[in-house]
Amino acid sequence: MSKRIILSSALSILCALLGLNGFAQESPAGKPTEETVAAAKKFLATLDESQRGKVVFDFKDEAQRKRWSNLPTAMVKRGGLRTGEFTQTQRDAVLAVLEAALSRQGYEKVLQIVEADEVLKKTGGQRMFGRDEYYVSFLGQPSLTEPWMIQFGGHHLGLNITLVGDQGTLAPSHTGAQPAIYELEGKTVRPLGRESDKAFALLSSLDEAQRKQAILGFQMRDLVLGPGRDGQTIQPEGIKGSALTDKQREMLLDLASEWIGIMPGAIAKTKMEELKKQVSETWFAWSGPTENGGAAYFRIQGPTVIIEYAPQRLGGDPTKHIHTIYRDPTNEYGAKWRKP
Amino acid sequence: MITMAHRFALLLVALVALPPAVFGHRLDEYLQATLVSIEAGGVRVQINLTPGVAVADQVLRLIDRDNDGVISTNEAVAYAELLKRDLTLRVDCRDLELKLTAFEFPAPGELRTGWGIMQMEFFSKTSSLAGGAHKVMLENRHVPAASVYLFNAAQPKSGEIQIISQKRNDNQSVGEIEFSFSSPPSSSRVGRIVAPVVILAVAVLFGRRGRTKLVTPT
Repeated sequence: MSKRIILSSALSILCALLGLNGFAQESPAGKPTEETVAAAKKFLATLDESQRGKVVFDFKDEAQRKRWSNLPTAMVKRGGLRTGEFTQTQRDAVLAVLEAALSRQGYEKVLQIVEADEVLKKTGGQRMFGRDEYYVSFLGQPSLTEPWMIQFGGHHLGLNITLVGDQGTLAPSHTGAQPAIYELEGKTVRPLGRESDKAFALLSSLDEAQRKQAILGFQMRDLVLGPGRDGQTIQPEGIKGSALTDKQREMLLDLASEWIGIMPGAIAKTKMEELKKQVSETWFAWSGPTENGGAAYFRIQGPTVIIEYAPQRLGGDPTKHIHTIYRDPTNEYGAKWRKP
Repeated sequence: MITMAHRFALLLVALVALPPAVFGHRLDEYLQATLVSIEAGGVRVQINLTPGVAVADQVLRLIDRDNDGVISTNEAVAYAELLKRDLTLRVDCRDLELKLTAFEFPAPGELRTGWGIMQMEFFSKTSSLAGGAHKVMLENRHVPAASVYLFNAAQPKSGEIQIISQKRNDNQSVGEIEFSFSSPPSSSRVGRIVAPVVILAVAVLFGRRGRTKLVTPT
């Protein structure tokens, strides 16, 4: 696994150096569901009976569905199988599942988040961190027709991917990073760097009157709708999409694509089209410093999306410790596709 | 002899002694995240409380009063009441009384790790609101020296309520929600009265025919 991560990070750095910024612009065709299902079945085939029993949950298992967190696995137990217990073949098979289920951009981001935790382990000597402390589980059996779910998570990562035929959703999912910036093979890696850069660019594009609407006059010290806040919906605040220019609306959508684009092309494209239709009803809110690169909180909230980005004041420099959440209040865990 | 209490103390010392950049999670803060739901008949206040590892013992002393390492139902209720005394809820400048409606406490051991979340829900009935603009104000004065507050209005579930604006002080310990209430059209009111009567009548009718299914008018 470590070899793949390093290779993958190196690929990311290489792409950045080559100016291929933003994997979101990859082919919209995406990957067929068949590939994800095949990879998942191949992974299951690498497991023995006992391991399969631990990794596959009933699709209706609500406790397991909601068993995810931003916290280290030593603090909040996850279900499923721990990556540290896998053989190299099994690790490769898990990565193949993620590679198939996610976009290239999403896969890179996930690997970089995991690698950040490995850096945290090495610099802090804490065994509860690192790439061995992530868990994988399936709810339901991999299927081309029936709903099923892939969960992959640990510290600063909670992916909840619900797939129903060719449809899929990432909601709700958590991404985070600590350190949010680190060196690998002499190159700088920022797992959530584009999110921050695009948000600051959008803020910079606002005129004085727009800023007055967008900037909240109080501190935001954490995510409002983070892990454990399923089913809650808050009143939107900030500046409404209808008060933005066309260019700013494009920037807002591009910012949201950093989360939506974690899913592969076809699924992300469908979701982005939905968002585009609702962009006038989508809000952008900001709290904190406005100087580029500062530890600022922001939120995107529309009829079918909630995204929050919250630097954490705990653990030193808040720009180096980020929590984010992605939700769809109308389709959490694929609710609208699931049979009652 | 090293007791369990000593072990916890040593663990806490060790955790607190960790460089913040290494541990990287809530240590000396008490996060109190409040969600205020305005409903036609009242105001619901949900508070999630997460004590950091360095303040968890201080908070636990307020909860586990007999220090037996268990949070009993009575202790949980007593702490919720303690929290309630530190809350002020006003609608249109009139103080309202909050009633504890639900709570969930993790085990003390979990709270001591700094990851445990206590959830409490209060409700306050409002007398029938007149149509038009109103204000809800909530102030939280609970453990102010160590607390970090979040205050948010929930998106109303009823179309009768529209949030107009939200205001907070800098640390969000005080929040104000301005909202409008539009009373339902009279036909709906009639419907609300008639519908349960019809349902009840149907239930009685079916009941007489020997059906066992119960219908509860709502």
